[in-house]
Amino acid sequence: MAELGRAALAVTLGLSLYALIAGGFAAARGRRRLSHSARNALLGACASTIVATVVLVAAFLRDDFSFAYVADHSSRSLPTPYKVSALWGGQEGSLLLWLLVLTVVAALSVWLNRRRTRDLVVWTVPVLGAIVAAFAWLLVAVSSPFSVIDAPLDGRGLNPSLQNPYMVTHPVLLYLGYVGLAVPFAFAMGALLSGRTDERWIVATRRWTLFAWTALGIGQLLGAHWAYEEVGWGGYYAWDAVENAALMPWLIATAYLHSVMIQEKRGMLRIWNVILVSGAFCLSLFGTFLTRSGVVNSIHSFTTSSIGAWFLAMIVVAVAFSAVMIWLRLPQLRSTTRLESLVSREAAFLYNNLLLVALCLTILWGTAWPILSEAVRGESVVVGHPYFDFFLRILGLPLLLLMGIGPLIAWRRASLRGLARVFAVPASAALIVGGLLVAFGAGSSVPGLIAYTFSAFVLGTIGQEFWKGTAARRATSSESVPTAFARLVGRNRRRYGGYVVHAAVVLLAIGIAGSSAYDSFAERTLRKGESISVGNYELTYRSLTERQTANAIEVRAAFDVTRNGQALGTVEAGKNAYAVEQQVSNEVGIRPNYVTGEDLFVIAERAYDDGSLHVRAFVKPLVNLIWLAGLVFLLGSLITLWPDAREERRLIERYATGRTPKPPAVA
Amino acid sequence: MRRGSPARLVIALSVAAVLAVFLLYTSVAGGGTPSVGPRALAGKEGTVALVGMVVGPVSGDPYKGGLRFALRDIEGPKKQTVPVVYTGSVPDLFRKGRHIVVDGTLRDGVFVAERNSMITKCPSKYQGQQQVS
Repeated sequence: MAELGRAALAVTLGLSLYALIAGGFAAARGRRRLSHSARNALLGACASTIVATVVLVAAFLRDDFSFAYVADHSSRSLPTPYKVSALWGGQEGSLLLWLLVLTVVAALSVWLNRRRTRDLVVWTVPVLGAIVAAFAWLLVAVSSPFSVIDAPLDGRGLNPSLQNPYMVTHPVLLYLGYVGLAVPFAFAMGALLSGRTDERWIVATRRWTLFAWTALGIGQLLGAHWAYEEVGWGGYYAWDAVENAALMPWLIATAYLHSVMIQEKRGMLRIWNVILVSGAFCLSLFGTFLTRSGVVNSIHSFTTSSIGAWFLAMIVVAVAFSAVMIWLRLPQLRSTTRLESLVSREAAFLYNNLLLVALCLTILWGTAWPILSEAVRGESVVVGHPYFDFFLRILGLPLLLLMGIGPLIAWRRASLRGLARVFAVPASAALIVGGLLVAFGAGSSVPGLIAYTFSAFVLGTIGQEFWKGTAARRATSSESVPTAFARLVGRNRRRYGGYVVHAAVVLLAIGIAGSSAYDSFAERTLRKGESISVGNYELTYRSLTERQTANAIEVRAAFDVTRNGQALGTVEAGKNAYAVEQQVSNEVGIRPNYVTGEDLFVIAERAYDDGSLHVRAFVKPLVNLIWLAGLVFLLGSLITLWPDAREERRLIERYATGRTPKPPAVA
Repeated sequence: MRRGSPARLVIALSVAAVLAVFLLYTSVAGGGTPSVGPRALAGKEGTVALVGMVVGPVSGDPYKGGLRFALRDIEGPKKQTVPVVYTGSVPDLFRKGRHIVVDGTLRDGVFVAERNSMITKCPSKYQGQQQVS
């Protein structure tokens, strides 16, 4: 069976090389049938990668330990769902999953756009072929998941921290995000290669970008939630190199999603957009490089391996190629219009872009600093939380404010009277909230106070937009409020879906500000019957029990919980000891309060022979808003992603004639 | 550069300039912890991040008096070992043979780690046993 898997990967490599070479030749010479065959080779590469993946998954399900990869990442007692997710429990399988996602999105994006943007697709195929070939090469020659060994009696098991539902979904979503960014990149390069640098590549890939961006965002939030619940150190984001690696392309993709609107509406920022989309893709490669090379210390326990150098080479090629292409097409990329005023929607979007890119660059700088300082000073220096927190505040808070300004301010040139009219309601909301917070004593954390005030401002603008839109529909029709509201959103999915995503970011900001600026903490060694108090809560240690499950021994301490003297029942915290994997994993106790959004978070650090227990406990205010933000974010993204036949027709008409769009008179 | 929109250029340059100043200030002048192995530890003043492999014996209690173990250089010739005393939360992956990072200072030949500063890396588990046929 391993031979079949190896052969399938070799076929993928061959087909992708064909797509690269034949596709490139066909595009340059205008050979239509040859470029069709190159496109079909890409579809074939997708099929053969699916075969390879099925072979490996089947080996996991059959407990076929003659596969070295299966023997290293699974065991007979592993529950079946985790046998499937063990596919991405190590490096080789992760690469295979990456290749699978890549070939699927490559095949789908090329197939779905084959008619609409034929002249672009012929150039997109060789670009995608090159990316697929690079990954297929790694899997065939460098890091194969199909090496075989003399089968041991049982496997070495899956890392316990990967044995939970988050680890079934979180890596897949991150890969969808990372890899999905290859689609807009390939189309952008296709547009540059073909010399057809109008807006069609943006229109053709808008949903792909949104999809990748949504997957990356949700993937990171799931990762944060996993860290919070499973790793259990009391936080959800540690500014760790590997976490930053996923955040950076997301920030750039966010900037890109905003700046393409300026290009579509006003024909500006065309060079900028190509740079952003290349940057997002290169950063996703850089993220994989950081994760896999081990050049930076990370709390993520991945194998340090030799494939880092290959990724470095891929990054260099991708950066050099996109830089050369942009340079060559500079004359065609010049804007058709220019910025008229520094107080306008275009300008607000531009500031948003600059801040997002600046935030990304500071994170990149901090993440790469250990490598850079080693090169410059001969000593590796690590920058910690204070550095990242500082930049998140000075760049993130203005971004939050802009999120309220951008959607309301007029296109081209905003007048002072106009500004006063649109911002009266949101600004008063912000002032009232800010005043109330100071009055109730929340002024202790200045960044927190600013974050809450800005959040109120943004929520005010979003609410006003929904209200005004609904009212406008009702003025011209006899629709009821819910109907008018639903039609408003349904007819303008991009706009109102975007507002919902903005609301999610506000919730996220409130959650982060609340849980990091206002949390309380306590720690003590307790004997049975003793208590520890943290915030308004009191925890009384009652009992310690031991349970044997299929693959672990679970030790649990039970606590009685009271808040302000009122009994709330019990909470359990402890550790699981996994026999096969010879590892211990922390199982924290969390008691959420859904009314205030706060969590009581209990860690049982260590049990002693005399039955006493060392306990750490946190109260994290508003932390549940972060998870709620994930749901709202998903909702907003789905609204904008949902297919819209009317919009499609409008866009096709607009770009069929090949003219540049006229700026709208009124936004 | 383009004629036409000086505004954009001005904004971009000013943001870049402000950023450059901040970055240089925070990274070069202040902030940041040197990351060293036991070999390079001697003579270092102030807080450093010590990277090394855990060697035994591991004794003591991280919540009462401190957990005692030693760290050895991970690679290179002339591996050296330094005793460490650590208090606070111990990650699940901590064990003999694991690679870890702790922040702290060297005092009288013993590396005194800051509370709750331990980070574990885990390169050993999934790498070994290359009996590929």
